[in-house]
Amino acid sequence: MNRRRWNQLLLRYPFLFALILLSVAILVNAILQPTFFTRESLNNNMRVFLPLMILAVGQAVVILGGGIDISVGGILSIVNTILATQVGLNGSPEKMWIYVGLSLLAGLAAGSLNGFFVSVLRLQPIITTYATSFLFFGIALYILPNPGGGIPQAISGLYRNTTPLGIPLAIYVIVLILLGWYYLRHSRYGRYLYAVGGKAEAAYETGVPVVGIQFSTYVISGLMAAIAGIAMSMLTGSGNADIGSAMTLNSVTAVVIGGTAFSGGVGGIAGPIIGAMTLQMIMNIISFANIDTWWQTFVNALIIVIALALPGLLNLIQGRKK
Amino acid sequence: MSKKLFGVLSAILLFAMVLGACTPAPAAAPEAPAAPAEAPAQPAAEAKVFTIGISNSFISSEYRTQMISELQEVNKEYMDQGITTELVIESADTDTAGQIQQLQNLMSKGVDAILVNPGDVTGLNATLEEAVAKGILVISVDQELAANGVYNVGIDQKEWAKTSAQWLAEKMGGKGSIVEIEGFPGHPANVVRMEGVDEVLANYPEMQVLAKDTGKWDEATGQQVMSNFLAAYPTLDGYWTQDGMAIGALQAVLAANPAKFPVGVGEARCQFINLWTEVLATHPDFETIAVANHPGVSPTGLRIAVNLLMGKKLDESKLGGTNGLSFVIPLVTAVTKDNLQDAVTLCQDKPETYLIDNIMTDQEVLDAYFVK
Repeated sequence: MNRRRWNQLLLRYPFLFALILLSVAILVNAILQPTFFTRESLNNNMRVFLPLMILAVGQAVVILGGGIDISVGGILSIVNTILATQVGLNGSPEKMWIYVGLSLLAGLAAGSLNGFFVSVLRLQPIITTYATSFLFFGIALYILPNPGGGIPQAISGLYRNTTPLGIPLAIYVIVLILLGWYYLRHSRYGRYLYAVGGKAEAAYETGVPVVGIQFSTYVISGLMAAIAGIAMSMLTGSGNADIGSAMTLNSVTAVVIGGTAFSGGVGGIAGPIIGAMTLQMIMNIISFANIDTWWQTFVNALIIVIALALPGLLNLIQGRKK
Repeated sequence: MSKKLFGVLSAILLFAMVLGACTPAPAAAPEAPAAPAEAPAQPAAEAKVFTIGISNSFISSEYRTQMISELQEVNKEYMDQGITTELVIESADTDTAGQIQQLQNLMSKGVDAILVNPGDVTGLNATLEEAVAKGILVISVDQELAANGVYNVGIDQKEWAKTSAQWLAEKMGGKGSIVEIEGFPGHPANVVRMEGVDEVLANYPEMQVLAKDTGKWDEATGQQVMSNFLAAYPTLDGYWTQDGMAIGALQAVLAANPAKFPVGVGEARCQFINLWTEVLATHPDFETIAVANHPGVSPTGLRIAVNLLMGKKLDESKLGGTNGLSFVIPLVTAVTKDNLQDAVTLCQDKPETYLIDNIMTDQEVLDAYFVK
């Protein structure tokens, strides 16, 4: 009975496990780092975490719809290189906001390309977006062959050091995204999305516009990657065509830790946001735990593997007890 | 709620506690930052024990491994004298955001100085400038940054490339055909190195560059590229390359075994030195030059940091570079046939991956960069 209760809870709140994991991570981090809850530390952490959190949201929407997007890092890189080359360290704020707008359009365009290949041409999502990722990284490298360029320091500072009401700016961004998601989730679109991710054929037969829904998930992912790219550019204040490459797989890991199933149709975006935070917090914990240099990578990977395997292990243990 | 859920929660808590238990003596670090308040009252040198943080974003290379070990070794000297505490090392394969996080963590741990080997030539600047604003001494090693208030410690990459290019040109009598195998095109170090090679070759109009390709700073790729070159140009007179690719290039030459070996550039790594002596057994006339971009610049940077922290006065006229805050460390003597025996002896008790190195002594650092 209890097991059913736990499973029901998990089904209703797929992010529950991620939330527990995050709470533990925060607890451990706070014990190891006495300054953890100061405004400065919180803001420092959140401004670094935000790009991956946003990226994970886009990734989660695609995975919910039954696909996967391996090109998000490439889109992020394109946006980063556009801003760094076109705005420049001495650019005016107006120029910055114009290119922020153009960056969003670039993200939408890149997402549409993925969406077209996967939903209209019905190509395999993993291979297709893997291929387009090279296309996107290639474009980014063409825009900015050598790392450099930049955005005005004042704008970078705005992102890095703004804490309205003492709360990091990143929290506001996340709350906005969650509100948007809440609205979307309870609209007709949301129901269609889950139907397509759960079983596309069945959804098709009941009149759900499968192609359009799948297409839209990649567009949302492209848009989110662009927003993540803007955040990343403001964080580093400069450009580097390679900046997104390590983030793609992390975004997928964040989604899985967040309890959104690879099979599609199960989960949400709160979990992936929490997952992205947890993933990055683990690195912090290792840092403050003074783990020996040569073991840091191993311990980091070990914790991630345990975090990924724990839900399954718990189910296994509980099943045996019955 | 259910007992099972409680069980699950306690299991996770247990996991957390195990993690917490992994912490060796967390008390040591937080105590250090308390000291600076009293420092100004007394002569800085005796009053305070300094904590130095290291940020490294790439670990999958022998260069970085040697760098970290040497940093620990040199710091041990200062620890024994009661000048510094154990190094706070943040070292893992990570991206720009990850390295920003490393730096933020070091600041949060209250270190007095940060030595950073940057994975991004501009992306860390804002964060490093924040550290400088907090009064932390920041030194970038191995890669020059243009951040305000950040010191750079490294070799002159252009001069380094010119050394071997000059040797090659002279050895070939200033004429003949060569190929070039470069690192990542666009990587700042590769760009200035290739500029250096071009500058040298400009003095020798009879030397002809037949082709140029990237070996991606990778031994296997270097070997592949060199094999292709040897197939395309069987009468090649010479080749210029850099770092680990040199070992691959020489192996490609040995595999192709042309009638006349092209004159090539090598790397001062024990693996290459050993290969060189093997080749001499069958080809007694074989000649090459082995140069090293030595990891010793980082421990030398640590010595500079310690002396700066102790309040020693810099001789600003000795600094140069893009932001006028660069320490240019002398190159390690190149290995040629004249001093090959010394290198062979040195390599006898070193691993194959060891790069021939030089760490300046404390006195050398003081003499070279500080006011006497």
